Amino acid sequence: MTRLVRAEFTKLRTTRVVYGMAAAMAAFAVLTVAANISDRQGAPPLSADSLPMLVGGPVTLLAGAALLLGILGMTGEFRHHTVTQTFLVTPDRGRVVAAKLVAYPLAGIALALATLAFTAAVAAGWLAAKGITPSMFDARLGRVLLGAVLAAGLCGLVGVGVGALVRNQVAALVGVLVWVLVIEGLLMSLLNAPSLGKWLPSAAAAALTNPGAAHLSRLGGTLLLAAYALALALAGTRLVVRRDIT
Amino acid sequence: MAVITIEGLSKRFGDVLAVDDLSFEVDQGTVVGFLGPNGAGKTTTLRMLLGLVAPTSGTARIDGRPYRALADPVRHVGAVLEASSFHPGRSARNHLRVVASAAGLPFARADAVLAQVGLADAAQRRVGGFSLGMRQRLGLATALLGDPQVLILDEPANGLDPEGVHWLRGVLRHLADQGRTVLVSSHVLAEVAQTVDQVVIIARGRLVTQSTLAALTARTEQLVRVRTPQAAALRPLLAAKGIQAHPDGADQLIAVGTTPEAVGQTAAAAGVVLYEMRAERSNLEDVFLQLTSQQGAPS
Repeated sequence: MTRLVRAEFTKLRTTRVVYGMAAAMAAFAVLTVAANISDRQGAPPLSADSLPMLVGGPVTLLAGAALLLGILGMTGEFRHHTVTQTFLVTPDRGRVVAAKLVAYPLAGIALALATLAFTAAVAAGWLAAKGITPSMFDARLGRVLLGAVLAAGLCGLVGVGVGALVRNQVAALVGVLVWVLVIEGLLMSLLNAPSLGKWLPSAAAAALTNPGAAHLSRLGGTLLLAAYALALALAGTRLVVRRDIT
Repeated sequence: MAVITIEGLSKRFGDVLAVDDLSFEVDQGTVVGFLGPNGAGKTTTLRMLLGLVAPTSGTARIDGRPYRALADPVRHVGAVLEASSFHPGRSARNHLRVVASAAGLPFARADAVLAQVGLADAAQRRVGGFSLGMRQRLGLATALLGDPQVLILDEPANGLDPEGVHWLRGVLRHLADQGRTVLVSSHVLAEVAQTVDQVVIIARGRLVTQSTLAALTARTEQLVRVRTPQAAALRPLLAAKGIQAHPDGADQLIAVGTTPEAVGQTAAAAGVVLYEMRAERSNLEDVFLQLTSQQGAPS
């Protein structure tokens, strides 16, 4: 199993996707810090306590990046027909999907932590330039990081599960976008109550990435998102194990 | 001893019976050509043998076990299935390293097999820029990674130029000389005729024949090509003498299994005018075409 997880990391390292994503995340991190520092309307003035707020800027997008990594990692095998070779080496397909369910969440978490470390460095430098010395050992900073790690890990799981279910890369990416941007919005307005809408996957993720505005506790969001991830992963694995590879 | 055993294998895709109660065996150390026209069910059969497609009924085993039950498949069986199954952004060496890491083989094997197929110079190039011939070579390199005793190759000559086909023949012969068992599919008998010991011929998912190449060669026949303005009249006259003849164009007949003497005497006795007669021998490809087209329509 360790061998298969390592093979997944070799796959990830040897294409350009992950490097492109890391560059994009770094650029976005600089943008969020700049936006949060320059646009202070209605917000408390910058202080030594501003660091967690600034570091938290890219967290939602990082959860999306982990989702994307999971989808690409699973559907890429079908898109490039490498799945044939993968299953020739490891005919026990359940183990291949399991290795991906371990590898891509970890990759998503690594990308999140690296980006947030970079964001913290940029933010601290910027604050220092304004004469503010930020406090690094802030419990709120710890909560931001914990939320980011949980969100990235679980979204990575969801991505692999969706990829295994849909298999077609374009369909999986478009499907996830339509789900998040259109269907959940429609459901939310149809249900017409945050008490029901909070059970949707995006709301569960939001409880981790943006706890202030969410209707679920962090533990509730974690458990709910984990339940969605598990259901998708199980259904996806079942399908991949049974389907013919033609 | 049989290394590959296909028994009563069938596969149905919706309304299409792609493979129909197919049975054959491949003995250890032999090179077997798996032949049939496009769409005959070769690829589906090989994919069932390799555990990628689930049979509707029947079994396909390697050393007595289904592929999925092999303890260490990559060291046991090497397979080349389609020329394009590589990530275009990955280099040839990294493609092999991915397979090596999943199979628990040392990375050094990647460079060894690249050298073996003549791709050492292209090791660091992205596969996206490879020609079809280079992809076929990389596919073979992947199959050889675990140094397996059994090789299963699906249309490895597809898309190769004449030089590539020549190279492939050399590689197959070399692998056979090392005592490996090779099952190689093709829709062109000539591609593999110089290399294989035996042929398994299928058409419309069914076995047509399994025989040695020598037995197949023995089925080639003496032909007499006859050019005559009275082809329609000559045909029943030959048939009356027990000589089969097929029309080939409006004024030609091809008489099968006979001599120019016999045809000439029949024609002279009936006053049929002949413009030209030529004795020929059918070749292997004719036998192959004849065998694969004889099969009745699918039920």
